[in-house]
Amino acid sequence: MLHASKKSLLEYLATRTIMYFATIFSGITLTYLLVKAMPVDAVENIIFGLTQTVAGVYDPQSINKLREDLYEIFGLTGKSPLEDYLIFIRRVFTFNFGPSFISFPTPAFELVLRRLPWTIGLLSVSTAITWITGNLLGTIAGYFRTKKFTKVLESIAISLYPVPYYIMALILMLLFAFLIPIFPLGGGISVIPESINLELILNIIWHSLLPALSLILPGALGWSFLSSRTLTLEVLSEDYTRYAEFRGLPGKYVLRRYVLRNILVPQVTVLALSLGGIFSGALLTEVIFAYPGVGSLAYRAAFAGDINTLMAVLILSMIAVSTAIYLLDLLYPLVDPRIRYR
Amino acid sequence: MPSLSFLKSIGKTFIFLYKSNFKLRLGFTLILILFILGFAVSPFSPTSTRTWYAVPRDRPPSPEYLLGTSSMGRDVFWELCASIGKSLTIALITALIASHIGLFIGLVSGIRGGLLDRFLMFVSDTFIIVPGFLLLIVVISIIKSWITIPLLGAIISIVSWPWPARQVRSMVLSLRERTFVYTAKLSGMRTSKVLLFEIMPYVLGWHLVNFTNTILFSIGTESGLAIFGLSILGDNTLGVMLYWALNYYALFRGIWWWITAPIVTLVLIFISFYLVSIGLSEHLHRIIG
Amino acid sequence: MEPVLKAVNLKGGYLLGSLYASASQQGSYVDAVSDVSLELFRNEIFGIAGESGCGKSTLIKILYGYLEPPLVLKDGLVYLYTKEGKEISITSTSKEQLKKDVFWRHISYIPQSSMNVLNPTMRVRDHFAEMLKLHANMSKEEAYKEAGKYVEYMGLPRDVLAAFPHQLSGGMRQRVVISLALLMRPDLILADEPTSALDVINQQAVLTMLRDSQESLKNTIVIVSHDMGIHGVVTHRVAIMYAGRIVEIGKTEEIFEDPLHPYTQALIKALPRLGDKAQREGLSGRPPDLKSPPLGCRFRPRCPSYGSQCKEETPTLIEVKPGHYVECWQYST
Repeated sequence: MLHASKKSLLEYLATRTIMYFATIFSGITLTYLLVKAMPVDAVENIIFGLTQTVAGVYDPQSINKLREDLYEIFGLTGKSPLEDYLIFIRRVFTFNFGPSFISFPTPAFELVLRRLPWTIGLLSVSTAITWITGNLLGTIAGYFRTKKFTKVLESIAISLYPVPYYIMALILMLLFAFLIPIFPLGGGISVIPESINLELILNIIWHSLLPALSLILPGALGWSFLSSRTLTLEVLSEDYTRYAEFRGLPGKYVLRRYVLRNILVPQVTVLALSLGGIFSGALLTEVIFAYPGVGSLAYRAAFAGDINTLMAVLILSMIAVSTAIYLLDLLYPLVDPRIRYR
Repeated sequence: MPSLSFLKSIGKTFIFLYKSNFKLRLGFTLILILFILGFAVSPFSPTSTRTWYAVPRDRPPSPEYLLGTSSMGRDVFWELCASIGKSLTIALITALIASHIGLFIGLVSGIRGGLLDRFLMFVSDTFIIVPGFLLLIVVISIIKSWITIPLLGAIISIVSWPWPARQVRSMVLSLRERTFVYTAKLSGMRTSKVLLFEIMPYVLGWHLVNFTNTILFSIGTESGLAIFGLSILGDNTLGVMLYWALNYYALFRGIWWWITAPIVTLVLIFISFYLVSIGLSEHLHRIIG
Repeated sequence: MEPVLKAVNLKGGYLLGSLYASASQQGSYVDAVSDVSLELFRNEIFGIAGESGCGKSTLIKILYGYLEPPLVLKDGLVYLYTKEGKEISITSTSKEQLKKDVFWRHISYIPQSSMNVLNPTMRVRDHFAEMLKLHANMSKEEAYKEAGKYVEYMGLPRDVLAAFPHQLSGGMRQRVVISLALLMRPDLILADEPTSALDVINQQAVLTMLRDSQESLKNTIVIVSHDMGIHGVVTHRVAIMYAGRIVEIGKTEEIFEDPLHPYTQALIKALPRLGDKAQREGLSGRPPDLKSPPLGCRFRPRCPSYGSQCKEETPTLIEVKPGHYVECWQYST
């Protein structure tokens, strides 16, 4: 009865792994095709804009190298289309996106790596808080669906849900940095980092509070709340929950072991997807609060027309999303026994 | 005339919905006001909303300048009205393109099934994995200098069609399993006819919901791109207003009215379209489940 | 005979309020259980028969005491007598109190379909363990050990304990659910169509399990089923329900051999019998709409032999033979 599961588990892992590489591959291909579809003189256009804005910084030799890089990225080397494509793929898999424009000649990839810890720190903490509080609140609201505080929470959620996080960031800035100035208006740090000590850490946390809040609020009270509430209502109408109550199991126990446990399954998907969106999820929050992460880097790159850096950010976040989905698929059997032994 | 009776029945449904659903009524009224401000009121602007220093700078709200003036010397109220119009135009273009591409692909995928379905869904999955906003940033950075209002709407639709497509497809799949479609097929109706007469009426309701959601998505994306400096910075859109207000450090300098106006308007737009969207889907859930 | 449950004049049904009904049904009431009185004895299997919608499931929900809107109890009393000699009034005890002290210890419930009644994310053994922890204050280890012994005692393979519900077949799942209902040795077990979702083989196994356990535990089992065949095989006494009322109660053999109520007679006549090749006759007409039941006898519109009295006055149950009651004007003289 229980022994046929090992083979199906292996099969499951194999399909997921293939799908993982296939999606990354198709994402990269899609990007390549879109970029290639751009007007032909894009490269010269970019280089012209570059020499215009920061003239004199570049020597002709490195400009030529840059031109070569760009022709490869845009698939315009004049070789066969297949060769162009393969060159592009090789660059992507070796993380060679060419030099950045904004701090030439540092490689674009290295520039992104340097900013990563800030973004990952901000996003992972706020995503985790969002997920936990949103699910708890949503489940409680679903369980006590007739109570007054539920109705209040629901109205708040319905107003918050459609508002994009960056508009939320602006509202919070208006409220807590301007009207009631308790938080700094921006930046990532306001002391000179000599060594890692408590003061430094607290300073960093203090600066990331408002950006984090702007991500947590619309999430925890918006989509995360609403989706877990809907799921809770669904689980509550399931026979197994009703039968648990019939058996005399106490409400709190049923909430924990029956309701929460069962909404966890679909909600883990949501968590992984939002963790995967870590690179791209808060680009605008970072810009608005001048937080020194990947988002601010992308902002500067977009301003200067630094295609190489933007490409590095785009491809890395693509890989992050598909990796998150892949890891989720691997972890899924732990959460949902129905998948474990199919 | 058949088209007239068709319009009449749509009108009737609309009036019924307007009366019976509070969310829809509220949302629709707000949208109507926004459209009036954006398209009927904005042409009456006494000064140009695109030239610099047309009015004195940095004036707080007063009877003369209803919402104050900006550091660029523009009347915030009139700039806001023009921006509402332009932002809605971009959003409508995106919604028209993306939701119809989505409808078409969803229908083809759901009805044909098989290899074509798998291919189309793989492509739409790819779009869901690729961070759309970053993709737009890359694309627009390349063609920044040529961008126009219709082009911006069209470019945003590149990343907006997969959601409607998935929605329509799953709708078709679940409808295909229902008895009335079987009955129609067994009674000898051709597949295309079954599609047109049996499935379309149900899908069209959801198409409207998708249309509304795409408007929401497009307005949000435009304002996000604008904050990145990747919109039509010489024109008036809500995002562009935000961009300049942020760039001139309006908050640091205490010119709160400049940045508050587009923020509040955006929030109103989001809430009103969302209310219409959930009002509609509540109704659709009630009639077909 | 020692009583285990007494129900007096139960009146209950579904109040269709704003939340549960469309506009046209607003405020209407479905009179699903009307004036039902019933006595159940220790050490018996009692059947409740009747076609779907006759109120039999509603009746046992009321007996169990777990009322959820839109189901309401308008009037009536239910008493439970425990083997310790205690009298519990189910109708006047709060749901919370019932959950704490009564459910599963004294009275348990087997639902209609076992398809989805076990938590899909919990192993079978944890379903047993949580009940033992709750009602017998056992530790987790003790509870697992006890569950192992118990499952074997019930004749189930021991490895069902480690399985998740979706890994079990429908018949096995139903047997797990039945074992779960018998776990705390309750005085009374209410089973709502326990076999309707199963194939014939599994039906047989489940019925055997119910009967064998009743024989060894000497408790009381109520089996609700639309299938007269099941009642003939396992029950000792049976009640026939029609349109929210009990129209006949008696020993199962008597009901099958000498049905008194015209409705019961029709039910028995419709049963297939060995060697009988005659065309089976069904009853014409449909049961009445319980939102507006007919005046007088509710069976009258379908009755082959009704009199003038039947139109105006509602009959009551009368004892025709010892222990054999019927609700029909034919027998009141």
